[in-house]
Amino acid sequence: MASISPIMRQLGYLRPLLKTPESILGRRTISTAYTPKSDAAPLPNKLPRSFMSQLPTRLRPDQAPKKLKIYPPPASTRNICKEPINAVTQSQLSTLDPTGERKALFDYRRNPRSVKPGDILRVTFKNGDPFSGVCLSIRLRGVDTAFLLRNELTRVGVEMWVKVFSPDVQSVEIVQRSEKRKRRARLYYMRQPRHDMRSVENIVSNYLKKKSALTGQRRQRR
Amino acid sequence: MSLCLSRGLSQLPLALWAPQTLHTTTACHYMPVRTFGIKSVTTPKPSRFNVSPDLPILKSTPAAALERKAYTLPLRSGAVAIKKGMTGIYDAQTGTRIPCTVLQLDRVEVVSHKTREKHGYYAVQVGAGWKHPSNMTKSLLGHFSAQGLSPKRHVYEFRVKDESGLPPVGHMINADWFQEGQYIDARSNTKGKGFTGVMKRHGFGGQDRSHGVSLTHRSLGSAGPGQGGGSRVYPGKKMAGNMGNEQNTVQNLKILKVDAVNGIVVVTGMLFLPTTLSPGYFRPSRLLIGFVQVLSVVLRDAWSGYKMQSRSLGLRCQQQQRSLHNVSRLAKIFGNVLLQLYWLLERRLYMIHE
Repeated sequence: MASISPIMRQLGYLRPLLKTPESILGRRTISTAYTPKSDAAPLPNKLPRSFMSQLPTRLRPDQAPKKLKIYPPPASTRNICKEPINAVTQSQLSTLDPTGERKALFDYRRNPRSVKPGDILRVTFKNGDPFSGVCLSIRLRGVDTAFLLRNELTRVGVEMWVKVFSPDVQSVEIVQRSEKRKRRARLYYMRQPRHDMRSVENIVSNYLKKKSALTGQRRQRR
Repeated sequence: MSLCLSRGLSQLPLALWAPQTLHTTTACHYMPVRTFGIKSVTTPKPSRFNVSPDLPILKSTPAAALERKAYTLPLRSGAVAIKKGMTGIYDAQTGTRIPCTVLQLDRVEVVSHKTREKHGYYAVQVGAGWKHPSNMTKSLLGHFSAQGLSPKRHVYEFRVKDESGLPPVGHMINADWFQEGQYIDARSNTKGKGFTGVMKRHGFGGQDRSHGVSLTHRSLGSAGPGQGGGSRVYPGKKMAGNMGNEQNTVQNLKILKVDAVNGIVVVTGMLFLPTTLSPGYFRPSRLLIGFVQVLSVVLRDAWSGYKMQSRSLGLRCQQQQRSLHNVSRLAKIFGNVLLQLYWLLERRLYMIHE
């Protein structure tokens, strides 16, 4: 292709200079033109029934969605009894511990005169031998409240969990209180040979002697 | 006579001599007829299939299925309860502690019936709790609204034997629906444990802590044999995966205590679903999430003829009858005293059962 000589070439493209902003705006494509949506024409008031079938079902006056009647709920047992476990526990305790004596004896968080960990206790059962030992821990769990006793029988360390509210438990006596308040709630360190109290037989037998002297009764079988 | 004969015997002479008459006689019962004489050399074989007209009717019909199930279906509906936790109950006589689960029934009502005429079986649809109407689909809302009931959070179905086990719609199922000493079956989804390994999920032994084992102490060993066994993993291979949150039924739990005012039912033993905390413990939105997973113990009345119970009962009755027969034979020999003793024993047995 023959090149145009530089003298003949156009000096500049001047046509855009002639365009006004209005003319640029007015030249929009069809896709970007905005036409507002016309409002839906309202239905005639008295539309004959014969024309109803031409309407969509949701617009027909007789086919309008029904207003559902929501019925209120009946009284809830959850509101009447918010803590069923407590209710069952209370009904149990009313027969197992009517005076609240046993509960008070082991409620060490509230009752200052209760059994504390470190005390030496003696438990008598309705069926079976009595058991005595140091109280290592008290587990407060409603009707399942229990305490752990540790003693030594035939030179073997023995531990026993006793349920406080069990009908099998006849009585619980505090043989000896610990001299100082223990700084732990669970005295499991007493299982270590260094801290083990070994047998509490002597203390208990002394207690029973004193007790029989005071009450004037024959010494009971330990 | 000729029609009753087998095909090969009957066709030939008739077809040769009187084809027209044969056509008229077989108008009602089609039988292929050869019109020219080729004689079969094979002897006729008896049919392999039992096609006699007086066969029993097939048992694979819905009616037959219902008849079969009538023996095991319970007579009345169960209930939906919330597990509230566990505690112990002391036996008044023996003084032994029985571990028990405390359940609460909250606004349990009969929502609708399933009938044999309409649905093919009898069942009671039972709803429990309450759900805010705005959280419910309109179709379900309409279902409750049509029955004149408040929207229920939980809807379950309990199949019953017949119409007599359908309480009226709107009937409130309280805790006194059950009696102390009854036995029930409890069904629920177990606690979800998430994605667990094989040691937890299937009780595998795991691998050594040392001896060259590295990084696979809790994994399964091999997933299957090699070339000899097909070089593939067999279907049903126990592997790690999602554990829990599957349906579980505990059968024959004894009801220890019933408190109709508070809606409390106390049953023996444990159920493997999470406990709901007391209402108001969580914020309401959280409670709703926990609620769906938790509040789905389904109580079934085992005493009134549920499957296992009734089967064992039936067995027991049979055994008793059999032993009764033996004993009466003995009684003829040893006199009446033994029989009377046996009757006493029997009565005591029944008392224990009741």
